[in-house]
Amino acid sequence: MTAHVMKFTLKIWRQSGPNERGRFVTYEAQDVSPGMSFLEMLDGVNQRLLGTGEEPVAFEQDCREGICGSCSLVINGIPHGPDQGITTCQLYMRRFSDGAHITIEPWRAKAFPILKDLVVDRSALDRIMQAGGYVSVNTGGAVDGNVLLIGKDQAETAMDAASCIGCGACVAACKNASAMLFVAAKVSHLSTLPQGRPERARRVTAMLEAMDREGFGSCGNQYECEAVCPKNISTRFIAVLNREYLRAGIVESGRPSEPESPHAESS
Amino acid sequence: MALTGLGLVVYVVFHMLGNLQLFEGPHALNSYAAFLRDMPILLWAARIGLLSMAGLHIGLALQLSIRNYRARPLEYTIHRYRQASIASRTMAISGMALLLFVGFHLLHLTAGVIDPAFADRRDLEGYRDVYGKVVHAFQNPFMVTLYLAGQLGLGLHLSHAIASSVQTMGFEHAALNRLLKSLGPVIGVIVVLGNVAIILAVFLGLVR
Amino acid sequence: MTRLDSKIPSGPLESKWDRHRFSEKLVSPTNKRKLTIIVVGTGLAGASAASTLGQLGYHVECFCFHDSARRAHSIAAQGGINAAKNYQDDGDSVGRLFYDTIKGGDFRSREANVYRLAQVSTQIIDQCVALGIPFAREYGGQLANRSFGGVQVSRTFYCRGQTGQQLLLGAYSALCWQIERGQVTMHPRTELLDLILVDGQARGIVARDLVTGRISAHTAHAVVLATGGYSNVYYLSTNASGCNVTATYRAWKHGAAFANPCFTQIHPTAIPPGGAHQAKLTLMSESLRNDGRLWVPRVPSDQRSPGDIPAADRDYFLERRYPRFGNLAPRDIASRAVKVACDEGHGVGPGGQGVYLDFSDVIEQQGLEVVRERYGNLFDMYHRITGEDAYQVPMRIYPAPHYTMGGLWVDYNLMSTIPGLFVIGEANFADHGANRLGASSLMQGLADGYFILPYTIGHYLATARLLPLLDDHAEAREATRLVATRINRLLAVKGRRTAAMFHRELGALLWNHCGMSRHEGGLTSALRSIPKLREEFWRDVMVPGAGDAFNQELEYAGRVADYLEFAELLCHDALHRQESCGAHFREEYQTEDGEPRRDDAHFAYVAAWEYRDRAEPVLHKEPLAFEFVPPTMRSYQ
Repeated sequence: MTAHVMKFTLKIWRQSGPNERGRFVTYEAQDVSPGMSFLEMLDGVNQRLLGTGEEPVAFEQDCREGICGSCSLVINGIPHGPDQGITTCQLYMRRFSDGAHITIEPWRAKAFPILKDLVVDRSALDRIMQAGGYVSVNTGGAVDGNVLLIGKDQAETAMDAASCIGCGACVAACKNASAMLFVAAKVSHLSTLPQGRPERARRVTAMLEAMDREGFGSCGNQYECEAVCPKNISTRFIAVLNREYLRAGIVESGRPSEPESPHAESS
Repeated sequence: MALTGLGLVVYVVFHMLGNLQLFEGPHALNSYAAFLRDMPILLWAARIGLLSMAGLHIGLALQLSIRNYRARPLEYTIHRYRQASIASRTMAISGMALLLFVGFHLLHLTAGVIDPAFADRRDLEGYRDVYGKVVHAFQNPFMVTLYLAGQLGLGLHLSHAIASSVQTMGFEHAALNRLLKSLGPVIGVIVVLGNVAIILAVFLGLVR
Repeated sequence: MTRLDSKIPSGPLESKWDRHRFSEKLVSPTNKRKLTIIVVGTGLAGASAASTLGQLGYHVECFCFHDSARRAHSIAAQGGINAAKNYQDDGDSVGRLFYDTIKGGDFRSREANVYRLAQVSTQIIDQCVALGIPFAREYGGQLANRSFGGVQVSRTFYCRGQTGQQLLLGAYSALCWQIERGQVTMHPRTELLDLILVDGQARGIVARDLVTGRISAHTAHAVVLATGGYSNVYYLSTNASGCNVTATYRAWKHGAAFANPCFTQIHPTAIPPGGAHQAKLTLMSESLRNDGRLWVPRVPSDQRSPGDIPAADRDYFLERRYPRFGNLAPRDIASRAVKVACDEGHGVGPGGQGVYLDFSDVIEQQGLEVVRERYGNLFDMYHRITGEDAYQVPMRIYPAPHYTMGGLWVDYNLMSTIPGLFVIGEANFADHGANRLGASSLMQGLADGYFILPYTIGHYLATARLLPLLDDHAEAREATRLVATRINRLLAVKGRRTAAMFHRELGALLWNHCGMSRHEGGLTSALRSIPKLREEFWRDVMVPGAGDAFNQELEYAGRVADYLEFAELLCHDALHRQESCGAHFREEYQTEDGEPRRDDAHFAYVAAWEYRDRAEPVLHKEPLAFEFVPPTMRSYQ
């Protein structure tokens, strides 16, 4: 490969803390090779900033292979950048033309407050999960894995939904900063499988209530979430979520559903 | 929103079908109008129902808009859409345009405030001359432009609204999804074509 | 003075674990409520342990440095998880999984631990199914299996290419349940920086809130480390950039023995580094070697493009050296063969670091579509990263550090040499001996977390004398002060070089002298260079910003500082082990055809190192007895 070197002008959102005012600062990215990943390009910018004693740009990253869901940049107006079905860390600089101007912003949503620069707090998604995104089974005592027969199609559908990596790009892309695709993926995964059925009504209600509490917007069915999802999770799961919610309201109404507190029966 | 919206969609479809009786001549349309007016309780019940449905629809839209506005206090500097349709991106605008248009339409053809000349005219059989009123209205280029613009707003609104409601109500099927998604634009186009046919037929002198 | 007592139960192998569990003391439900356990790390081991301990009734304080407990690097494991279910009726059994693991580990692991791992493996699958993990299924609805990592049975369970992520999400969801119930308090974005010992027992940790920079002490009745491996000491590895040695290294400095640090697994099929900017190496699935052929040009530094090199000028080195296994030779052997080819000047691509993995033969024989169907997503990934079309030109691959078999020494109860400090998952030295087989890291993490630690920690808590403790105990205050001092020292250097520069230099040094093959000269020179680099670091490192704020560069510099100390321990261990076994290849100890020569007479032991202040670490040996599987030589020729 020839040592083809590129240059970019970056407009990056800088914000020193959650309650500070942010602003855009322009940086030059030099000596960028087409084989660099987007994050490696930013690494280079940061190393140069460090050389001048300036604080580097904070951004989130970890596995750098598209599965941990840490990276979270809006690149030229699109979460995870111009390519579909990938995360920011899987974006390579050969995708951009030499000399291009690139604007980099954080995920913007009330439920995702900015901690610093491009790093946002996504713990709202964790709290939605804590509200009901699980099957309440104790460790030990599970029956043999083959006792439950689950059809291949059903398992594949559950897997389609379960592949969500919790990056929050769906929220970032949504005009209303709604977390519907995230919740839909979680609810659909478990309601598709027999293991998740006993708690399905309580789960969907609790998770949607938690979503509202966190300050996410509502779903406008524009499907931008699906278009930026690095795992291509389909918005048909949002219909599944809505159906589950309606079902919970109709079928399960009137049944006692409050679980006892863990120590209720202690003596 | 989805429920009230679908209620309004049903009304819009029947409104269009009823109006198409224009093509059967003055007798059909005027007696149809009289038939509706002969049942004042039902008519007013329907009107109140429609009005409250529309009110609820608008109220919910406002409520959601406020919530959605609050969900992103600071907008992106650059925001690019990947696949959202134009209709889905202009729901608020097309909705507001529709509201204005419907208001005008009610004042114009229902209450007769805007063009009182025809408000109380009777036809030869003694019915209120709705037919004549419509024909008169759509011979006016200004009215035609206004009504065509209203239909554009209606079409745009419907093409996103119907599929969106279907999704919100949880209809989803691997094999039928394409069909469900195309439901909105198809119904929207039918309603608009029906209505536009009336307007243009009069304007072009095919119905007089 | 450290004493190694592995506490392996006596009696027949098959019943050791059952009898041990029966002999363990239990904690009553009322007492469990009064006990707090700290779990550090939320990968497979940490999340499964924290959720299970919470469910048992303990109060759990759980820490991770990620923004969410769901992001630990277990998530990146693709292949699958082994279990001796024998669903395929192809002759698998607990015994066979045990045997494969012992042999795969080149006879450097404990028989009793490995047997227990194989026993527990079946329960893991049942538990994971109950949690709703969407394992691949057959049309009839039964669980699907595939064969993985060159074993003769199909015992690997999988969820497409995301088994690690699905298993972690399962453990994370169980953790979410316990958080909701109030049994687990989660501390995300909080990094362990030191241990608190009171009366010789592990009683807490000092942690830094990565958002506010606040340093605080957290005390408990026992501490569990589930903090993963240290492959990132090499700078370039397949690990996530956050993976680090800090927690286990801090524990070592407090007296926990570190076992077999030199057993580091190098994975053969990663995409080669593209230049100095490279931040991590991306792993390509091992399955590519099923159809791809590895070769290099016969003439060193051949500049022709691969298509122009005729068959006569190509060296299919794996097929030549290992005719029986060919391109499917195990990880350690394949990696070394690649290195030898590159060292002799046959390497291709930038810096000569790479060999061809060629699919043209299989494309010719079976057609492009077959290859696309099998490996399409991998070819796409390769194309995205390198810009090259592997259907047209051969892929280039190069080995990369991937997993560390070494870790803190633990006894049969998973407790380190510090009472009350338990170590699980990749962080302990565990069950993989000198080499880990594919699809067994997920198995070990979950075995430790779900099924082993929750039993053994109870016995400790039931029998240890544990005085009540407050967060502002004198020892806790002192530990907190020391951590703050160290952070201030880092910030005060205000030098000219970044932490990444030191890390990169250390990585290159280790890769060259303590990487895939090692020799005395290289190791001793590394042992001379590392302290110099460390001194330079403390004299010239540049850490901007403040300690009491969000400061990623400070986090990183702290980790690099620990690598710079830990690297020495790694080299010490590699130097002392004068044999070649598993992933540890000493050039002095090889046969005439370049195969590793293991020395069971002198090195059939676990090397557990004890920290000494300002002195060389002290070696303790835990002899390994093989009562059930007599050691044999691995041969793949």
